[in-house]
Amino acid sequence: MSAVDVPAPAPQATPQEIRLRKVTKSSEAGRAQSKRGRRSLGVVAVVLAVMWVFPIYWMINSAFLPLNKLQTPDPTFFPVGGTLSNFRRVLDDPTFWAAMRVSLAVVIVVLVAALLFAFLAALAVSRFRFRGRKGFILTILVVQMIPAEGLFISQYQMLDGWNLVNKIAGLSLVYTAAILPFTIWMLRGFVAGVPIELEEAGMVDGLSRTAAFFRITFPLLAPGLVAAGVYGFLQAWNEYTLALVVMTDPAQRTLPLWLQGLVESNRATDWGVVMAGSALIAIPVIVFFLFVQNKMTSGLVAGAVKG
Amino acid sequence: MAATAPALQQDDTVVFPRRRRRKLGVYGLLVPAAVLMGVALGYPLVRQFVISFQEYGLRQQFGQPAEWVGLKNYTDLLTDPYVWTVIGRSIAFCLVNAAVTMLIGIAFAVLMSRIGTASRITLQVALLLAWGTPVLASMTVWQWLFDSQYGVVNWVLSNVFGLEDMAGHSWIIEPLSFYFVATVIVVWMSVPFVAFSIYAGLLQVPEETMEAAQLDGASSRQRFWNITIPMIRPVLSIVMLLQVIWDFKVFTQIYVLQRAGAPTRETNLLGTLIYSYASEFSLAGALATIMLVITLALTGFYIRQMLKEDEL
Amino acid sequence: MKILRFAAVGVAAALTLTACGNGDDAADSPTENGTPEPATIKLWLNGTDTPDALREYLTTTFESENPGSKLVIEEQDWNGLVPRLQTALGSADQTPDVVEIGNTQSPTFTYAGAFADITDMYDELGGDNLLEGFVEAGSADGSFYAAPYYSGARAVFYNKDAFAAAGVEVPTTLAEFTEVAKKLQSDTQSGFWFPGQDWYNGAAWIYTNGGDFAVKDGDAWKGALSSAESITGLEEVQDLLANATNAPADSDSNEPWVPFNAGQAAMFSAPTWARWSIDLPQCNKAVDPEDESEEAKALRAEQQACNEEHTGVFPLPGLEEGTFANGFAGGSNIAVAAKSKHPELAKSLLKIIFTEEFQNMLGENGLIPGNTEYAASMGDDVYAKAAVDAALNAKLTPAAEKWADVEGDRILEDFFQQLATGADVKEAAADTDQLLEDALN
Repeated sequence: MSAVDVPAPAPQATPQEIRLRKVTKSSEAGRAQSKRGRRSLGVVAVVLAVMWVFPIYWMINSAFLPLNKLQTPDPTFFPVGGTLSNFRRVLDDPTFWAAMRVSLAVVIVVLVAALLFAFLAALAVSRFRFRGRKGFILTILVVQMIPAEGLFISQYQMLDGWNLVNKIAGLSLVYTAAILPFTIWMLRGFVAGVPIELEEAGMVDGLSRTAAFFRITFPLLAPGLVAAGVYGFLQAWNEYTLALVVMTDPAQRTLPLWLQGLVESNRATDWGVVMAGSALIAIPVIVFFLFVQNKMTSGLVAGAVKG
Repeated sequence: MAATAPALQQDDTVVFPRRRRRKLGVYGLLVPAAVLMGVALGYPLVRQFVISFQEYGLRQQFGQPAEWVGLKNYTDLLTDPYVWTVIGRSIAFCLVNAAVTMLIGIAFAVLMSRIGTASRITLQVALLLAWGTPVLASMTVWQWLFDSQYGVVNWVLSNVFGLEDMAGHSWIIEPLSFYFVATVIVVWMSVPFVAFSIYAGLLQVPEETMEAAQLDGASSRQRFWNITIPMIRPVLSIVMLLQVIWDFKVFTQIYVLQRAGAPTRETNLLGTLIYSYASEFSLAGALATIMLVITLALTGFYIRQMLKEDEL
Repeated sequence: MKILRFAAVGVAAALTLTACGNGDDAADSPTENGTPEPATIKLWLNGTDTPDALREYLTTTFESENPGSKLVIEEQDWNGLVPRLQTALGSADQTPDVVEIGNTQSPTFTYAGAFADITDMYDELGGDNLLEGFVEAGSADGSFYAAPYYSGARAVFYNKDAFAAAGVEVPTTLAEFTEVAKKLQSDTQSGFWFPGQDWYNGAAWIYTNGGDFAVKDGDAWKGALSSAESITGLEEVQDLLANATNAPADSDSNEPWVPFNAGQAAMFSAPTWARWSIDLPQCNKAVDPEDESEEAKALRAEQQACNEEHTGVFPLPGLEEGTFANGFAGGSNIAVAAKSKHPELAKSLLKIIFTEEFQNMLGENGLIPGNTEYAASMGDDVYAKAAVDAALNAKLTPAAEKWADVEGDRILEDFFQQLATGADVKEAAADTDQLLEDALN
């Protein structure tokens, strides 16, 4: 917090300015120290990684255990002699695959629509100055401050009026609208980060305005779209409260609803199966993540810097 | 940030000579998003706001007319000392969580920028896993970890660290300890976004600047405070703003932990309180408006500052 | 008696019906011979409580009695049911035609006008043989809206070996129950598994001593936890929580057989179908649950027999010998949605549910049928007897319009947890009465 509250020196601190500051250490010594430091910091990072990943490990570990080993006074730390039957039961369950299809369909529709519309809007707010620009930006910020927990009744009635209850299109519509503010917010930084000169250079070389945009600017925006896509993916993949009321037809369940149903499907919940289900639900997200990981990290660069 | 985005400051006249047509074109770009948000997000929000001035509950949902009651819902809420208690708790929870998340996030980002590739990727993958796992699933696991009978946390504390008192200890039955557990979980889930954003910001700091500073003998601490922090300030402020907004609205984590056996009334935050008003929709609407006003009050200064510095 | 009351308010009821039953004017126009137009109707059943065989029976019977019409059954989760009903029942297009609803949720929706008036069907569905408390939970302003579907009462399961080791017998009065539980209690074994938030079980002590959660006082509800009767019961509850259980104060009534199976509890209270969840270590044959071979089935049967041999069951006794406690009745009501476009078809489904045949099928599956006349179908093994004895003495939560808010705010979970952590009974009861009044009025 202090980093923000304390009035910081001008961001444009140039090398010249810094040269004026007092020399405290020879850079040679600093480098030797930094090599040793780098190694011990690496160890710290790995320890932190293990701490952070432990709950996920626990989920996977539990997914391999039979029920009578799950709730015991002494926890089972490694799934030695574990069973694959929890996973098999999920994978053999047609309702899991049905829910997977619905969830994937929703996520795809939401991502395509949200990224496209947000991208256009981001283009507008970051490349142009126009009346209402600040108002628009403020609105999408303020909208994010309103809690969504009490909204589901109005949202339902709205979808019902358009006959969109129990339809992938209906759920996707509300999800898209819900993630657009943040997505626009994120993308506008990326768009601003691509120097317009590049595009103009392309036009000088004889490309049409559209061609210049798609050949030059668009590829540079890919990381930004990926970063925003990850956010949208997570939101649409995990949402529960609205899906609960909109998707009442068991054939139209999304994965979070399916998971909740699994908790209840038997009078005594088989937590091993629930954990296997959770792990399997997480897999598409994690695959998506790892797949775009590099792009995203570089993508967050531009977006983050311009916010 | 002058260094990275000179394009932003340009006026559209420079880019587009045919001003008038382009003006319309700009709005054309905004239309799809604006219409979609206006309809599917704006309508429910406006309706919620309107209903907050009515008497609207379950009966009205089944067809009875809703009566206008003016500010009654607001005065009912704001004269209830319990609501104020919850508001106070929510503000405290939000500030503590946002601060802890930011500190850890910054630390992780700085760490990532100073370590070798292998250990960096290990840490990144761990963070991504935490971020990407469905909330419903990770909440179930957290609930187990802190379970009083079979929880690993208690087992480790009593069997590894010899704190025998901790066997069977309930983490969620005392409000303070409940909020501690909730903070652990919320921070665990929020740090990845913060760490990645700030790490990305750090990568953006031009290497030449850092090297020049190093040649000039600036210590690493000096470099951090005098170059890095100012340069990533825009990221920091935006991420922190979002964190404050999100932590103030926190719902799922609190809700799940309450169902795990916490005393509900003593642990409610505004998110769960609103949800409990679902059958008295008008109260939920009024409370949502109150929350919006509080959030604006908490962040208004900050947003104004950002507007002034043209960071928005 | 009830009938008379219904007749007296018939006019008012008709008026109420017109007032709330808007939106379905054009619906369900009968054809010339008086039978409704064929259509597809939707039934919402919750969780897996209604077995598949019963669902099939409903579908086939309905479709043969209403040629051309179809019945679609959609299974809903108990968790999240209230928001779902709250939205779907208000939509003329989406509403299920017939809907199962938890008995404690029933008054809220009944009063809100979510269900169609079926006062005229009261006799046909079973009349005074219908489970009384459930009828009350499904009635509003003298009209009848939601019929009792089934009930599942709680009985006490006990470990026979633990009883033998402690030299105790099955208790015959509520006071004796506490004594027995205390004798069984040790550091490693709970005499009676009594989780801190388990108000479902705790209700039995309040009701049996003549107390209640709230009572109607004129037009308003009054918290009744601080009545002398309730306090007597609550003091016993606190005694049990303090001296006869190791159950954590932050746990609820879910899955009490887990500690029982692990030898950490000598008694627990649960609906009688919990028998299928008992899995004592000395009986476990380690059969793969997916193995469907004859050998595996035989082993599983052997395992079940062994579990039941080591486990006994009894209904919680009442104040005096030979009587039973008034426990909390779980279960469901079933109603026709007010916005249903096919009320006649929906009612014909309701009639099928209340036929002798279907009621008996409920009983054979361990559920106490809504019409008590058919309770004998439960069979006469110890489980059935314990269930019936408990059910016939069971009582529901107050039939207050806003009871759903009490559950939503988890007021009673909080209250019992306070007792479990040693709060002063009278103070906690008075505070909670205040909260109940705020919520109910």
